[in-house]
Amino acid sequence: MFSRKPATELPRAQGQAGKARGRAPFLFLAPAIIVVFAVLIFPIIFSLFVSTYNWPLSQGAGVRHFVGLGNYAALTQDPEFWNSLKLQLGFIFIAIPIELLFGFAAALLLNREFFGARVVRSLLLLPVFFLPILSGMTWRFMLQPRYGPLNALLLKLGAPEITWLGNPATAYAAIIVQDIWRMWPFMFMLLYAALTSIPQELMEAAEIDGAGFWLKLRSLTIPLLTPTILTAVLLRIIDALRVFSEVYVMTEGGPGSATMLFSLYTQRQAFGYQKVGMASAMAIFLLVISIVFALTLVRKNMSLDVLEEKAGA
Amino acid sequence: MKKALIVLVFALAFASMVSAQTINVLFWDDAYPRTLMERIPEFEKATGIKVNIEILQPPQVFTKTSVSVSKDRTDYDLVCVDEGNIPLFASLMLPYDQWAPGKVFKKVDPNTVTPAMLDVAQWDGKLIGLPINGNLYVWMTRKDLIENPKYKADFKAKYGYDLGVPQTFQQMLDEGTYFYENGIVSGGFGPFNGGPAGVFGEAIFMWESYGTHFIEWVKGKPTLVVDKAKAVQGMEFYKKLMKISPKGAETMAHVERQAAFAADPKGVFTQFIWPAQIASYEDPDKSLVAGKIVYSAPPAGPAGRFAIRGTWAVNIPLASKNKDAAAEFVYWWASKDIATWLVEKNTVPARTDALTDPRFAKTKPWLAAIADSMKYAAARPRFNEVAQVQDIVKKYWIMGITGQMPCDDAMQKIIDETKDVLKKAGY
Repeated sequence: MFSRKPATELPRAQGQAGKARGRAPFLFLAPAIIVVFAVLIFPIIFSLFVSTYNWPLSQGAGVRHFVGLGNYAALTQDPEFWNSLKLQLGFIFIAIPIELLFGFAAALLLNREFFGARVVRSLLLLPVFFLPILSGMTWRFMLQPRYGPLNALLLKLGAPEITWLGNPATAYAAIIVQDIWRMWPFMFMLLYAALTSIPQELMEAAEIDGAGFWLKLRSLTIPLLTPTILTAVLLRIIDALRVFSEVYVMTEGGPGSATMLFSLYTQRQAFGYQKVGMASAMAIFLLVISIVFALTLVRKNMSLDVLEEKAGA
Repeated sequence: MKKALIVLVFALAFASMVSAQTINVLFWDDAYPRTLMERIPEFEKATGIKVNIEILQPPQVFTKTSVSVSKDRTDYDLVCVDEGNIPLFASLMLPYDQWAPGKVFKKVDPNTVTPAMLDVAQWDGKLIGLPINGNLYVWMTRKDLIENPKYKADFKAKYGYDLGVPQTFQQMLDEGTYFYENGIVSGGFGPFNGGPAGVFGEAIFMWESYGTHFIEWVKGKPTLVVDKAKAVQGMEFYKKLMKISPKGAETMAHVERQAAFAADPKGVFTQFIWPAQIASYEDPDKSLVAGKIVYSAPPAGPAGRFAIRGTWAVNIPLASKNKDAAAEFVYWWASKDIATWLVEKNTVPARTDALTDPRFAKTKPWLAAIADSMKYAAARPRFNEVAQVQDIVKKYWIMGITGQMPCDDAMQKIIDETKDVLKKAGY
């Protein structure tokens, strides 16, 4: 019934089968690896390559000149580059903590059932679904000095009109407020989901032990939410590093360079000044910043050891 | 039977290839190309050439041209290039004298284009494409205000001369101040503080009006030639105009200017306009001041009158595979028939015979003003690094005219940083 192979052929057959089994995982993974390489790794390598050239966009590849690290060196000499980096980091460090605070407070407040709770929670999410470009346009019109509702309100209250987007300080504040308005519900969404997954028994046990609201918050809620908070903050940082369209339609980087964020300046370099090499160098710089943020947050705070330590404490 | 079917399939495929020649065209978005689009089906019917239009805001046209047109390949068979960007793209475009003769429409003689506009498409002694619209500064003043007997009497009593269309900068300031300070208008003057190219235009307008050029080509190099003292005077005068401008003047671009001039019940007394936008200001459905505007050449500064030019040229990329069809489209677009129809529709083509057609003398009062402005046409400097310089000028010009920085310091910054850009570019 069963064909038996001679004993001498078995090792060879097993060896071939073993080889086939050894290759199989790679064959199954190959499509995914190819896609990741094509859409993720290759663009980074290509950007790195382009960043070493003086490459005028409209003249094509024929007139590029190799400059090595020249573009990186030129960037360090460019005050506008440092200004845009400062503005971008300021944007992140002001907007994201406020979004986190608002999102966390709203999640705590709405983590209970009451009449219409589901509707309220759903409505709070609306700004996240706004297209960034529409959000920017809406805020631009709301802040318009003569026709905007904000100034109309100020006038009714007897206050003077303010040219929100015409003054460097208020324009910078305006783009941050716009971002907070649009993105704090994102924080709320993640934190509310995490809050609902905290076992109720833990809270009840703490209450039996006499813990009040603040003690429960400090000793239970926040430590248990830490991985979610860090994930939310990391996602928002990555997103905020790329913020572009809403600021572009609100201010185009002005007045002067008061809102010329890193992403806007990169776009100016590439498409305004036609310096693709310089823009690629800025993109690589942005990638390095993103990696630094990610490593800092993920490696130091989200490793299992740290989480176990925190849980133990 | 089988053979016959094969022959039929090949014949159909060949016929479809021959009959459906398609050209891809990149338009800038304003009333002029949008009006033209109404008539494109006629062109398609007459020639069998299908026209695919992509219409984008001017900054995006520039970006799209930069990434889509090179020496070896192009996504478009015809692109519109703003005059400031001609140097950047000139080497990628087919010179006009190499455009094929038309099969259906006659090749357009460049001399039909108004002389003030023809210069737009010239680069390195060659005509790179064809200027297609007649866009340069024209001045708008509210007729209902300057003809009001009460305002006329009041103004004369206060200033000692007659109220009228501003002929000089001082007159513009006096009249604007009178209307603004008496609460008759929301703005005595409508500035432009939007995109870098527009602000650059305002700065060049003021500097030329005060007697100084900014950058000139000297021995084959763009060279900073600005007279700082005169430039500061121009900036200081604009600062005075900002004080009688509507709220939010610091960020006013075209949309805000139109809203202030034509949709605000009080409106603005006087400002420049690109003729391409006149159709919107004269549309009673969109404008409260339709029929109430006097058009003229810009008022004169101490050094005379200057009208900044902002014309578009149509160009065929060297890499286009449909050059003849693209040329055919331009010959149709720039023909007298279409140009005259475009004037009828309140837009402004570049052909002299259409702009000076006596039929329009009474119904299109802005045509005479455009003709007058053309006598004073002035171009913004053109060189490859102009976008960087525009950003510098915009940044410090607005800081100077809004009082965030003394005008003298702002001008010094413009000079220093422009020198740096030119030096780094190797000039």
